[in-house]
Amino acid sequence: MELNICHLYPEVLNLYGDRGNIRCLEQRLAWRGIDCHVTMLKIGDQADLTKFDLFFVGGGQDFEQEVLLADLGSGKGGEIRAAIEDGKTFLAICGGYQMLGHYYETHEGVKCEYLGAVDFYTKGADVRMIDNYCFTLGQESGGSVVVGFENHSGKTWLGPDVQPLGRIIRGNGNNGEDGTEGCRYRNVFGTYSHGPVLPKNPQFADELLRTALIRKYGKADLAPLDDTVELSAHDAVYRRLMNRFEADERD
Amino acid sequence: MMAKKPLRLNTILAVASCKCVRSILRHTGKGGGTALPGKVAMKFQKDVLETVSDGVDCIVVTGTNGKTTTANILESALTESGRNVLANKSGANLLSGITAEFCCAADWLGRPKKKVAVIECDEGALKQVAPRIHPRVIVVTNLFRDQLDRYGEVMNTLAQIRSGVEKAPQATLVLNAEDSLVSSLALDVPNRVVYFGLNTPVGDQKPREISDALHCIRCGTEYQYRYYTYAHLGDFVCPKCGYHRAKPDFAVQSIDRMEADGSRVTMKFGGETRPVAIGLPAVYNIYNAAAAIAAYVTFGGEPSEIIRSLKGVHSSFGRMEKFELPRKIMTRAESGNPAAAADATAAGMNAVVPVRMILVKNPAGCSQTIAYLCGLAEDFQLVICLNDRTADGHDISWIWDADYEKLAACSHLREIWVSGDRAEELRLRLKYAGVKTNRIHLEKDNAKLLAMMQESSLPVFVMPNYTSMLALRKVLSDATGKKAFWEKQ
Repeated sequence: MELNICHLYPEVLNLYGDRGNIRCLEQRLAWRGIDCHVTMLKIGDQADLTKFDLFFVGGGQDFEQEVLLADLGSGKGGEIRAAIEDGKTFLAICGGYQMLGHYYETHEGVKCEYLGAVDFYTKGADVRMIDNYCFTLGQESGGSVVVGFENHSGKTWLGPDVQPLGRIIRGNGNNGEDGTEGCRYRNVFGTYSHGPVLPKNPQFADELLRTALIRKYGKADLAPLDDTVELSAHDAVYRRLMNRFEADERD
Repeated sequence: MMAKKPLRLNTILAVASCKCVRSILRHTGKGGGTALPGKVAMKFQKDVLETVSDGVDCIVVTGTNGKTTTANILESALTESGRNVLANKSGANLLSGITAEFCCAADWLGRPKKKVAVIECDEGALKQVAPRIHPRVIVVTNLFRDQLDRYGEVMNTLAQIRSGVEKAPQATLVLNAEDSLVSSLALDVPNRVVYFGLNTPVGDQKPREISDALHCIRCGTEYQYRYYTYAHLGDFVCPKCGYHRAKPDFAVQSIDRMEADGSRVTMKFGGETRPVAIGLPAVYNIYNAAAAIAAYVTFGGEPSEIIRSLKGVHSSFGRMEKFELPRKIMTRAESGNPAAAADATAAGMNAVVPVRMILVKNPAGCSQTIAYLCGLAEDFQLVICLNDRTADGHDISWIWDADYEKLAACSHLREIWVSGDRAEELRLRLKYAGVKTNRIHLEKDNAKLLAMMQESSLPVFVMPNYTSMLALRKVLSDATGKKAFWEKQ
């Protein structure tokens, strides 16, 4: 068994320790003796996207996101939409997540057209939502609790046929209003949990690998790993979030 | 004749309250009293900084990394050449902390007692500080991603610095020639500009996988590099619009020696070539030294004065700071490992454990520190601390962009202790870096960390971030009888 991973636009969408996620996917496959090839696809690079099983799109700076919109417009956008409809697995984070929606409208009202691969849109707000947060994955995504860090001013609103990736326990998620976090559409996992979300959420990481393996081989045999170190990092954040909010409520 | 400035009651109240609050905080052992006194002063007179800095000739140092060290070098050189210098050496570099520093250095009527100041200033605070103290020189050391949750992004930080510079058109800018972000400031402002830099490649010349400035700030095209020095710094050129590294006026021509305690370089400026010995190790301190020389000479100082000071420059507050910890040798009974204790005694080891603290706040600084550690010639133990409090930035994602992988292959590194609020995350990062988990110890109790260091038969390096540095530094200072920064003189 092997998985081909495509890291989309690693040179610009890498702001927040995103490479930790690729390292995690690679490593959790390697620990199980499953082969893995990571291809970095930069702006201007041409490749046959159908040969990849799992795509990763990270977050970036506003300045650099403009550079890549032109590249998406040149045809890669169509290929990405096709891969999504074909059931390929996507992990899209923060800016990369927003990019899959219809558009981003800034707080000043300037509209930026995005891929429209998934039915949602994002509107800039005047307050940034920044902090550790946690959410429960939907049952279709394994149901585990994910801890992460969100940092966005855009508020995302999902269309009727798109499931949220999870439900917020503590923090803001998509918009800070409807309790949803991220999106799950076919095998697209979109989330605001930026940076290295996977290493300390091993169940979420395995869910992505399982989804990609099942799509490719019809089955996934993921042997259990010793996740002591991983889960202690997870639990430390989770405990703090729960304690802090309890303390706030008492005040 | 100059008109006499009217005496203002609110200035007197502001200065008096500032001095009192700081004094109370320090005497009650509540710490350095760096920000609160300034806040109190500003309650009495919002713009008190303008008054208490009136007529003071200022150098301001800003940028992501190296602010404190560069300011410290400048302060030493000015002091050692006989000037009475005001400096915010505590690292309190926001408007409130800088206000406190100037208020406390003024007389009770708010008139400055010192004529020269070296001020380290936070990138975001520059726009508040610069228009009030009217600096003659502004140094911008470099720009890396740092504390993202406070500032948003590197471009945003650059915009903040730019807006600070725009409020100080009289200032000469001293800019890092190899930093395409920093040197872009010269494109937009009328200020006089002086550049410092390295005319020589450093380290591996592999293209950067992680870079804070990959694309031309003017036209968006990917830069080409003739050589790299570190992170995104190097001899860059945009193949499309031609934006390129400026030729440095203060240039390191060659790095002649790099050792654990310092470097020797050859510098060229003002038409002359001079050897410079720097009493601090690692490449980033070569940059700090070059920045300091450029600022000092631009400020009107004699090159020989700063070159003399650089040789003996001491480390500053947590930056490559040395502690000599009295060694405690465990008795056989105390030690879990009797053989080890016996070995230690038999070896007749020194009476002190050398502990060196290297503050690390972002991936660029962290990777540079790791590169320095991996170049050491003797065995050592390592303590890494990571907090995620407000002054650190709540987001610790950056640790995944730093080169911890090198530690796994570092032959002289024995064991690693992880500590701080996010010790568990550090341990996970190190596991992914390939460090065997049985070599990593998790210890959040600073007293126990101290005990470990006191019993260490090897030198210890401590790599903390900001607030974890403050906490552990206090423990180490207490154990070594070192004074707090405000008691230093």
